[in-house]
Amino acid sequence: MAGNRMQKIGSVFSRTRNLLRIGVIEKPLWFDVYAAFPPLREPVYRVPRPRYGKVKDVIPPIFYQEDEVRARFYRIYGSGPRPFDLSQSNYKSTCQRFVEKFNELKEEGKIEEEKLFEETGKALLASGIILQRRGTDKAAQQDHQDAETRDSLLPLQLQTVLEKIQEKKKDGEEQTPELAETQKEDPLPS
Amino acid sequence: DDKLLSEPLSHPDFFNVKELFSLKDLFDARVHLGHKKGCRHRFMEPYIFGCRLDQDIIDLDQTMQHLQLALNFTAHIAYRKGIILFISRKRQFCHLVESTARECGEYAHTRYWQGGLLTNAHVQFGSGVRLPDLIIFLSSLNNVFEPHVAIRDAAKMNIPTVGVVDTNCNPCLITYPIPGNDDSPTAMELYCKLFRMTIIRAKDKRQQSEVFNELR
Repeated sequence: MAGNRMQKIGSVFSRTRNLLRIGVIEKPLWFDVYAAFPPLREPVYRVPRPRYGKVKDVIPPIFYQEDEVRARFYRIYGSGPRPFDLSQSNYKSTCQRFVEKFNELKEEGKIEEEKLFEETGKALLASGIILQRRGTDKAAQQDHQDAETRDSLLPLQLQTVLEKIQEKKKDGEEQTPELAETQKEDPLPS
Repeated sequence: DDKLLSEPLSHPDFFNVKELFSLKDLFDARVHLGHKKGCRHRFMEPYIFGCRLDQDIIDLDQTMQHLQLALNFTAHIAYRKGIILFISRKRQFCHLVESTARECGEYAHTRYWQGGLLTNAHVQFGSGVRLPDLIIFLSSLNNVFEPHVAIRDAAKMNIPTVGVVDTNCNPCLITYPIPGNDDSPTAMELYCKLFRMTIIRAKDKRQQSEVFNELR
């Protein structure tokens, strides 16, 4: 039983064809099928060497025209009010609705380009979707101030916590000798 | 007997595998989703459509062509009563692959691959073993993200292979690669369904042809 185990030379088909031509092997099952329906690329071994020097990214990035609107939406409003529900394949997120409204208003052409963004926000408010701006809010500023006061109070709080732990340790030391005495007393009556 | 075997080869799509899947089915099963840009294998670049926010998207037109060729090849092998071996080293889908193989009446190996299973078969299993005539990889990497040893061993033993190659896999040695996602459950279920339907269809056609021949 002859065979050719050199997987780095030629393809499976070329090696089998050559062995058949010599006559040391009998025709395998798959040979005629491969000959009738060859693959798009012959499965020859290629050495997986890494690229040297400056690596050119051959694959184009995928961007759409609507991505500009989406980027602006996410920068101003953060992630939308509703989480994405990926179980439905025809789900439309808040951002997608915003983009579609934007394109509609743009096609109508009655509003100027600078005001289009605010107009779409108002249109969505009218249809019931509330968008909250992120970052530059009064509520956000108050949170910032609370955080500052909390930071200044922190060392005082830590001191009180340390004192409490030290008190507890002293109490613990007083209790353990009492427990030891009670343990010594117990075996005596038994 | 010769007519029985040579007649299917004259038709371009004797088993009509094209009707089993469509582009929309592949898209809904999330077959086009690849790994991130950093995981990309150099030889998968011709099969990738583009990169959306650093995630590779596989070109589904090419996947359709490759899938049609691969399913056609499996159908012909099953028609000629060849032994088919399913291999997948993903623990998540090990049960699915084994049950698919059982339903087809073929074989599966989803556990640790010992070194000499194909190359040292006569010592491990005894003399007179019949090796598989086709090996189908539903995931061509093993648990440490390296190419599965069986790809190299099948090329050594001159066994043709069909395999689902993701964007981090090496498609060189696989005879009929299918560029596609091998991590999503929906994609794996789709592949298992397609392979099961082709093999069962081919076997039924073989039975029918034999019955027709006997009647003559």
